[in-house]
Amino acid sequence: MTRCLLVLVIILAGLVIASLALGDVALSRQDLWETLTGSHDRTSRNAMIVFDLRLPRVLLAALVGAALATAGTITLAIMRNPLAEPGVLGINSGAAVAVMAVIVLLQDPPALLPPVAGFAGAAAMAAAVFLLSWRGGTSSLRIILTGIGLGSLAGAATTFLSAFGDIGDVQRAMIWLAGSVYDASLAKVRFLFLWLVIPLALAWMASRELDLIRFGDDTAKSFGQPVDRTRGLMIVLCTLISGAAVAAAGLIGFVGLVAPHVAGRLVGPSHARILPVAALCGAILVVAADLLGRLVIAPVQIPAGIVTGLIGAPFFASLLWKRRHARG
Amino acid sequence: MPVDESNRSAKIAGRGVSIAYGSRRIVEDLDLVVPERRFTALVGPNGSGKSTILRTFAGLMRATGGSILLDGRSIATLGAREMARRVGVLLQGPVAPEGLTVRDLVQQGRYPHRSLFGRWSEADQAACEEAMMLTGTTTLADTPLDTLSGGQRQRAWIAMTLAQQSEVLLLDEPTTFLDLAHQIELMNLITVLVRDHRKTVVAVLHDLNQAARYAEHVVLLKDGRIAAAGHPSDVISQDTIADVFGVRSMVIRDPVAGTPLCVPL
Repeated sequence: MTRCLLVLVIILAGLVIASLALGDVALSRQDLWETLTGSHDRTSRNAMIVFDLRLPRVLLAALVGAALATAGTITLAIMRNPLAEPGVLGINSGAAVAVMAVIVLLQDPPALLPPVAGFAGAAAMAAAVFLLSWRGGTSSLRIILTGIGLGSLAGAATTFLSAFGDIGDVQRAMIWLAGSVYDASLAKVRFLFLWLVIPLALAWMASRELDLIRFGDDTAKSFGQPVDRTRGLMIVLCTLISGAAVAAAGLIGFVGLVAPHVAGRLVGPSHARILPVAALCGAILVVAADLLGRLVIAPVQIPAGIVTGLIGAPFFASLLWKRRHARG
Repeated sequence: MPVDESNRSAKIAGRGVSIAYGSRRIVEDLDLVVPERRFTALVGPNGSGKSTILRTFAGLMRATGGSILLDGRSIATLGAREMARRVGVLLQGPVAPEGLTVRDLVQQGRYPHRSLFGRWSEADQAACEEAMMLTGTTTLADTPLDTLSGGQRQRAWIAMTLAQQSEVLLLDEPTTFLDLAHQIELMNLITVLVRDHRKTVVAVLHDLNQAARYAEHVVLLKDGRIAAAGHPSDVISQDTIADVFGVRSMVIRDPVAGTPLCVPL
């Protein structure tokens, strides 16, 4: 466990350093070192590139990745479905329709509005999915089915808005939705960090509850767990965490699905171990995706959300392939 | 006339219990007594409501009418955790998360004894070790569940329920899917638990002769009603078997244990 954490931290640190050094203006090792230690004056071009552009961006990527992975781990446990990720709670589709509506209908909304609308849309959708699936109790299958139903409804609304909206507005909304951390600032990073710190800590403290609820409602109840209350609280945590990540960076897919599975393979089934490892894996994934997206066809930047999809899908397939062969 | 085992106080007593799934009534006005520190078997044909009654007594389903008393107190007034500390349940075909070892599983049984931030205590450790010893799973502690045989896995689940250290154990068809040797082993384990560890055990059993041989109190169920209840030798007769199962049979004495043995004609 300790070794695993250490290796992941080293990988993440390496990626962070690479993200600070590489880009349209590549910094040499010495330049980067001098800039970071402040031996150059802070108004120099290098300092501006590192501190104003690349550092907030890489920190935002890491935070968003950790948040998505944690939310994914929670969803996986409370839904007991290997394909469950925060999206099944309606978080992604809710955010998408709200952002599309705000940008298309208001034409030129203030910069703060899309993220706030995104979070509000995600939260409203998660609440709607939970309430509509309630029948004197919760059930993971009902939540998933309701989530799919409401999700396609929201998807239709998003498509409708984009079909009839002004082409420029639609494109701006699509870029926002594609999931990217290009629009990062230290203020945003600080806000997201303060927002996430309590829900992430609560999730980790609830790891024993997650361990039990995974056994299924009846078994969990027979051990004295108030299953409905636990599932409800976990959905609230999940919405706070992934809703904020979506508001900050748009829709970055696959991280919430892949990171918990990878963590489970690395450190076994206990959530006290899975959660921190999954958070690190998620951070690594998004930082790597953003770095790749900036470098591959520079100066064009591919949004991180597209890159995670591109590397996430084959990675996931290989995971399933290996498992099948390990079993067979 | 059903014979009640009146020399024992009731550990669990259902009084006028009704249970329904939606509008479908499964059980109506049932009075069922589980004697303390005895092995009680619930036996009956498919659809007679055995499992439903067990689940309701475990607090997993709410009775639509009547009350269920544990040591004279209604289980509706007990908190979920307290209920779990006093009544352990093993359901049919439980599913464990992938990659779990036997030890991981058994440790889960301590959940109702631990507070939200409580550390793993020596009492927790001792309970798990005893549970694994009783079920013969100590040597399997570090083995992943998915690699065990059906019999070993069932013993691991029972160890998890034992780690809960409840006075009452409710087992839903614990011998189904086990081969003969493992069935006998499990019945012997229940006998030990009742005799030496002061447990009250209720098991839904499919095999009437198994119930007759090992249980001290048999409840024959038909259509959600009690057809007969009491000591096996008082309850199991040609007439009750014809009534409950609709099977013509001869009841003879088991040449080994002296208990009634039903031989269908």
